[in-house]
Amino acid sequence: MEMQATELQSGRARTLGSANIFGAALPFIALLLVGIAFPLFGGGYWGVIATRACVYWVLVSGLNLVVGFAGQIAIGWVALLTLGAYTTSVLTAGNVTPALSPYLALVIAAVVGAIFGLIVGLPALRLRTFYFAITTLGFATIVTQVALAWQSVTGGGVGVAGPIFPPPFSSEWGFYYFCFGLAAICTWMTGNVAASRFGRALTAIRDAEVAAEASGIAKPALLAMVFLFSGAVAAVAGGLFASLQSYITPDAFTLDLSVLFFIAILIGGRGSILGPLLGTILLTVLPEFAAPLVAWSTFLYAALLLVIVLAIPGGIAEILDFKNRRPLESNRAIIPRPDLLPRLLGAPHDAGALTLQQVALSFGGVRAIDGLDLEIRRGQVHGLIGPNGSGKTTTLNVISGYYAPQRGTVRLNGIALPVFARHRRAHLRIARTFQTPRIVGAASVLQNVMIGGTIDGRSTFVESLLALPRHRRDEMKLHDTAMLALQIVGLDRLAAVRADRLQHSELRFVEIARALMLRPAFLLLDEPAAGLSAEEIVRLGALVLAIARAGTGVLVVEHHPDLIFDTCHHVTVLNLGKMLAAGSPAEIRSHREVVNAYLGG
Amino acid sequence: MVESIVLSGVAIGCLYALIGITYNVMFSASRVFSFTAGTLGMLGGVLGSLFIASLGMPVPVGFVLVLAAGAIFGVITEIVAVRPVLKSLDQHLYVLSTLALALMAQQFTAIEWGTESRPFPRLFDTPRVGFDQQFWLPMLACVVAIVGLELLYRHTLIGRAFLAIAEDSFAARALGLPERSLRITSFALAGAIGALAGFAGGEMLLAFFGNAPLLTFYGFVPVALGGMGNNRGAVVAGLLLGLFQQTANFLVGGIFASVAVFTVFIIVLLARPEGLAGSSLQRRV
Amino acid sequence: MPISAAEPLLQASGLAAGYGKIRILCDVNLTVGAGEVVALLGPNGAGKTTLLRSLSGLLPWSGRICFAGRDLAGLSTRDVVKAGLAHVVEGHRVFTQLAVNDNLLLAAYGLPRGERAARIEEVLDLFPEIAAKRHERAASLSGGQQQILAVAQGLVRRPRLLMLDEPSAGLSPVLVDRVLVVVRQLREAGTAVLLVEQLIEKALAVADRVYALARGSMVLEARTNEPDLPLRLEHAYLSTTTRAPPSD
Repeated sequence: MEMQATELQSGRARTLGSANIFGAALPFIALLLVGIAFPLFGGGYWGVIATRACVYWVLVSGLNLVVGFAGQIAIGWVALLTLGAYTTSVLTAGNVTPALSPYLALVIAAVVGAIFGLIVGLPALRLRTFYFAITTLGFATIVTQVALAWQSVTGGGVGVAGPIFPPPFSSEWGFYYFCFGLAAICTWMTGNVAASRFGRALTAIRDAEVAAEASGIAKPALLAMVFLFSGAVAAVAGGLFASLQSYITPDAFTLDLSVLFFIAILIGGRGSILGPLLGTILLTVLPEFAAPLVAWSTFLYAALLLVIVLAIPGGIAEILDFKNRRPLESNRAIIPRPDLLPRLLGAPHDAGALTLQQVALSFGGVRAIDGLDLEIRRGQVHGLIGPNGSGKTTTLNVISGYYAPQRGTVRLNGIALPVFARHRRAHLRIARTFQTPRIVGAASVLQNVMIGGTIDGRSTFVESLLALPRHRRDEMKLHDTAMLALQIVGLDRLAAVRADRLQHSELRFVEIARALMLRPAFLLLDEPAAGLSAEEIVRLGALVLAIARAGTGVLVVEHHPDLIFDTCHHVTVLNLGKMLAAGSPAEIRSHREVVNAYLGG
Repeated sequence: MVESIVLSGVAIGCLYALIGITYNVMFSASRVFSFTAGTLGMLGGVLGSLFIASLGMPVPVGFVLVLAAGAIFGVITEIVAVRPVLKSLDQHLYVLSTLALALMAQQFTAIEWGTESRPFPRLFDTPRVGFDQQFWLPMLACVVAIVGLELLYRHTLIGRAFLAIAEDSFAARALGLPERSLRITSFALAGAIGALAGFAGGEMLLAFFGNAPLLTFYGFVPVALGGMGNNRGAVVAGLLLGLFQQTANFLVGGIFASVAVFTVFIIVLLARPEGLAGSSLQRRV
Repeated sequence: MPISAAEPLLQASGLAAGYGKIRILCDVNLTVGAGEVVALLGPNGAGKTTLLRSLSGLLPWSGRICFAGRDLAGLSTRDVVKAGLAHVVEGHRVFTQLAVNDNLLLAAYGLPRGERAARIEEVLDLFPEIAAKRHERAASLSGGQQQILAVAQGLVRRPRLLMLDEPSAGLSPVLVDRVLVVVRQLREAGTAVLLVEQLIEKALAVADRVYALARGSMVLEARTNEPDLPLRLEHAYLSTTTRAPPSD
């Protein structure tokens, strides 16, 4: 009976989901229809503007994955437009190579763009915000200078003629439809990525990098794919741009253009496809309505950017996000359903243990952990308590691979865990939560939980780009598993809500749901009770116990006596990096030294 | 030939170092790298040319006005682009807000002043010689800025307060230091230094709106290589950069010199993200 | 509980504070009388540091705080310090790049120029161990000396109330005693002290009164000379608020 009710619920959630998807697709369908019908009421000059908007969007759609989703501040992307424009033009002009067909030239440009996209983008793996921004800015300056200097190929300041596409794309409207078609394909592809585990992983890297790592997301591989894609479409846009301009010189590729692309995304809103699309159209069209303002357009874009950053960081997408305006119930309660755990985790697993042996680690002469032994068995809850600075979180971070122990070993079922390689932990089914919840605030609760299942997806990036069957199967499965995980922690009613609207205590349960997506053999909880009400702590305790009963080994780092004494099978007390005591909760409670140390906390 | 490479290399290196110091002074007070650093340099040149060549003001008056304008732009940066986003945990916001402000200033200049580069007046009516004013002025400005800052930091209470905020702004606030007004003062100081760079290097760089992104990039190289917040590192790295660029300029031509600088910058940065001099451990969890 | 007769020096009532969405303190009441030493105890994560930071205006708070007859609502830390409430934050955070003397000079920021030197001499007289090193950089001091320096910084403005956040953390027992001697000296000189401390017995030895904070609320207020205090403290710390301890 109960089973049925749940089925019903998740069924309802799915229909709700498809209704949402339809609602979300509506603006795109409207834009598609307007785009197709555009030649009927637009004429002459407006055709050029519309074509330009399409060309820009081809680039922006790819850049959107870099800026809007992955959160990398790439402000010099005009460099890839330049590269694509020159590659296509030079290859079709035939002054360096035999003249190629424009289509072939466009394909080659895409390959070149992909390679350079990767080269420009990869520093993002090492460099943080401002550093990366400035390297892309430097790259943009240099590409223009090279175009100017390499006269034998690019024609220098004189320039080179852009490619002309053969009929049916040679006429003005023919070329418009060509560009429009590519823009539509790009919208579709990036939309697919955005709704895939790759898109969610990108937002996780942007807003909650440590959580992304803990979920097993390998940032280098993912960013590399995004940069390849983004570089390729940017170069294709360059080829189209050159054709639209019919003649290109380095002057055509000013930083203003880069700024336009970049700002279109931010005005549109990060993590959205529709927002940046509208942003691109807006920024392309706006100056045409007010001719005297053309000279001021970049100034106005910049001013707009400032306003957006200061006043509406969510951009257009946030303004259009009507469903998240509805107030949430204020007296909602988190009611976990631990009984559903076996459905998610399967039958309890056989024995196994995570063991720390004589682990020691010091920071600049201070011993953070000093010869610690710990054994976490599957099916049990292990508490780790101690005063501030006693090494609890450090222990957790050693297990998670943030620190390499200077002495001692960490073993999983007898096999040493690789040092660092943090995202490998997820593949070994070691999941964790964080002291401060690490959540993608702008994504829905459901999406946040789905991030936890990233490594269980089977489709490749290209399959997701093209929405091939395996991608769709992945998504269905992840969606259902995540709904189940949300039911288990008692938050399924909030699945569609933006995560940053939740209360702090709810976010803690979201993190647990996300961790459960890994079907963890071991679960590390870092102060899960902090900020929870007494009632919530009781429910948390029951949930933690049920998770252990389902076969997971749980390590709880906690100050809260209720949670420790009520749920743990075994407690280890740390003081100054050393084990002060270990035993059952009852033993610990009566341990004089512990009481002193704890009181001292 | 070698002489002119060294002269121009050191002179331009001093300008990069000055912009680097501009970055650093703002960074120390706020932990923010501002895109307006290069804009300040550009404004120094443009305003100097405006006040002295176009409006015919005496050189000292023009000079003081340029510094004052730089200081005002620094304060505007703090109020408009830094303070509102300082509370936010989101690291990218300040990059965007300062970028927006820098672009606005740059575009405003392009429209009101023009997109052509205009000559900067000669400040001293002396004949052009080997060791010309266009070379020694940037060097002098750099020495003055460094010595001035050093004196400020070592011998005044406000200078010590700057150092305190740079080291631990929370502890400084807890001690009752007026963090906000100290930050504004830092930005004013940075603004004056950036404008000084543009003014002193006016003859080399000309009064040109497009200098802003170039200085923003090349001025950041010394910061990245010398270690953030480290003025001495910035001067050394700035001089090396200037000499390297001018040598490459002579050997392989201007454009490919830029490519070389960029490549070296990226490689060094990737190998040592904290700069050649600096090191810091980040704790993320 | 009878509190010192006259108007207390510091009175906080209905205080709530936190970091962003995270509520740490909830309806906290606290008073400190003039010249009184009050210990604030509690397990970690209880909100002691948050409480001190709210009192000194380092964190936004709601409720009511009165200090020396003045409402602290809306005052910046700077104003609070000027009003005579000094806060020595945890972790002996002195400015390591500056000389000891300069560290103290910064604490005198805003005082008339002529007074600064005299104030610095005054506190250096109290602490000979750092007076000997006044021209050395704070980085060269030991952890204990840095803590002494931090306390000295707090005293430069002759505060009426000094808040010390875990002054003994990371210090050797000898130095801990040294810090507590200072607390006693202050008390004799009429300066009130609000002390957050890990070492309960030491804290109780110097304090007149004690508060215990647990899970963001005050769970105990007592005079230190009450006989059953240790037991009550233990109970306050370890009591399970929701249900009885498990019997198994």
